[in-house]
Amino acid sequence: MFRKGLIFLLTAVVSACAPTVEPIDYGKDQCDFCRMTIADNHFAAQLVTRKGKNYKFDAIECMVWFLQDDRVGMKDIHTMLVADYSHPGTMIAARTAVYLISPQIKSPMGAQLAAFPDEATAQKFQQKLGGEIYHWEALHPVVKARKKTLQMHSH
Amino acid sequence: MTLLRTLAGLGAAWLIAGTATGKTWEVCPSCPISSLRAAIERAAAHDTIYLAAGRYFEHDLLIRKPLTIIGPREAIIDGQNKGGVFQVSADSFTLKGIAIRNVSFSELEENSAITLLRCTHYHLEDLHIDSVYFGILVENSDSGVVRNCVIRSSTSGTDEATMGNGIHLWKCENALIADNYVTGMRDGIYFEFVQHSTIERNVSKGNLRYGLHFMFSNHDVYRNNRFENNGAGVAVMFSRNIEMYGNTFIHNWGNNAYGLLLKEIYDGVIQHNHFIRNTVAVQNEGSVRIRYEENDFYFNGWAVNYMGGAYDNYFHHNNFVGNTFEVSYFGRPNNNRFEENYWSKYNGYDLNRDGLGDVPHYPVDLFTYLAHEVNESIILLRSLFVTLLSFAEKVAPVLTPDDIYDPTPLMNLWHWSDSTTSTSALAH
Repeated sequence: MFRKGLIFLLTAVVSACAPTVEPIDYGKDQCDFCRMTIADNHFAAQLVTRKGKNYKFDAIECMVWFLQDDRVGMKDIHTMLVADYSHPGTMIAARTAVYLISPQIKSPMGAQLAAFPDEATAQKFQQKLGGEIYHWEALHPVVKARKKTLQMHSH
Repeated sequence: MTLLRTLAGLGAAWLIAGTATGKTWEVCPSCPISSLRAAIERAAAHDTIYLAAGRYFEHDLLIRKPLTIIGPREAIIDGQNKGGVFQVSADSFTLKGIAIRNVSFSELEENSAITLLRCTHYHLEDLHIDSVYFGILVENSDSGVVRNCVIRSSTSGTDEATMGNGIHLWKCENALIADNYVTGMRDGIYFEFVQHSTIERNVSKGNLRYGLHFMFSNHDVYRNNRFENNGAGVAVMFSRNIEMYGNTFIHNWGNNAYGLLLKEIYDGVIQHNHFIRNTVAVQNEGSVRIRYEENDFYFNGWAVNYMGGAYDNYFHHNNFVGNTFEVSYFGRPNNNRFEENYWSKYNGYDLNRDGLGDVPHYPVDLFTYLAHEVNESIILLRSLFVTLLSFAEKVAPVLTPDDIYDPTPLMNLWHWSDSTTSTSALAH
């Protein structure tokens, strides 16, 4: 009986820690950066820590800004996902995704940013929407600068 | 009598001549011109198209010249879920009276009943928009009116990702949004980068996300609107100088549901509003220099909830009645002040009969701390244990901030009337 109990406890503990990606519940989940209800499956983003905590965002820029706050260290991240603009509702790996910033893209937090699974798809949308293509690393300073222009920190 | 009639007749003739500067084209199902598209092609700038009762199957109508299109409610344009219906880039465009139906969700296009791009002096009035993805989408436009329209969505209202907004303005100035009824959309009304605009007397009800949503918008006013049963009533985010007068926030109930959500906002006025039976009446995360004057907070779970980043907020002459928690606040006082508010939980006395309590009122309940740290503890709320604990805390405060208090609580309800709404309260 004791052994059964212990096994149960262990399974409970282990399964709680295994990092699993909880699907975003659109219309219910709140963005962990800006507090908006996550509504648009063209722009959502998500990160899961090694300890299994899920952070969900209504926009890719919210995830970038969240990372800049250093609440979660890069080395603690297990999975990082962004919405595929070309297949709304599908999440793709953030580090390998290709990003397009264009005034034609109305991402929820004003960074005009969308993600695509590869260079070719991003270029296809670039032809239609204009704008500049970025990879994950180069994206950060641009999105950071955008936050300043939006005057989000004026206090 | 005859003289009067003649005068009236003359007046009418003068009116018609005065308003119709161009030619009028009539469209009806049995007319020589039986489609709106054909009429739009033939019409010259500043002409008027009269759309008679009937059903017209048309979509993606592009308009690039000043036009007036009017008709009765029985003139129905059915988009057959093939795209948007009107797409207008023109000066002086007027659309009035008709009905628009069936604009379906699209993954990559913001299909809407009416899209206005780079318009000036637009006028949309008395429109009945039903079963649409987006209702009215206005971008990069200046000086326009959206009045007395009814907008409903295409889905039964369960999937937020496939629903658009009722009235969505993006990078606009000088808009008036008045007397509309919006229901079953994602956001009822959404202002993104919108300046110097007014939203008044609208009803936004049963929308999935927000009744009204501001993002990066400054110097706007919304007044005398009703926000009922939305995911959250109104979200004002990353904006400055928003004035909120005489609105009713009612029954925005559930997890993450607020009457009013203030996130990163500066210099606002909240006056003469009614907050009734909301889970949280006002939720704050970063709000600076907001003045609350003469508002009624009745029967909410939390009347005012602060999550941090609150500076220089001022509460004066508000009524807090029957709220489970009056104020939830953590951290330093940051010059947030309360003066002469009525608190139904106040149990002080007024010996000198000046209408003000002789001892201060501390609106932050000990239990808000517990509820904040351990959500589940809320079930203990009405228990004897918590009552005793709260009493002990009141007598000798340990956890609750003793610098968040109303030094002069009112003994009686504060009576205010809408007519005294100040127009320059921002001068505070």
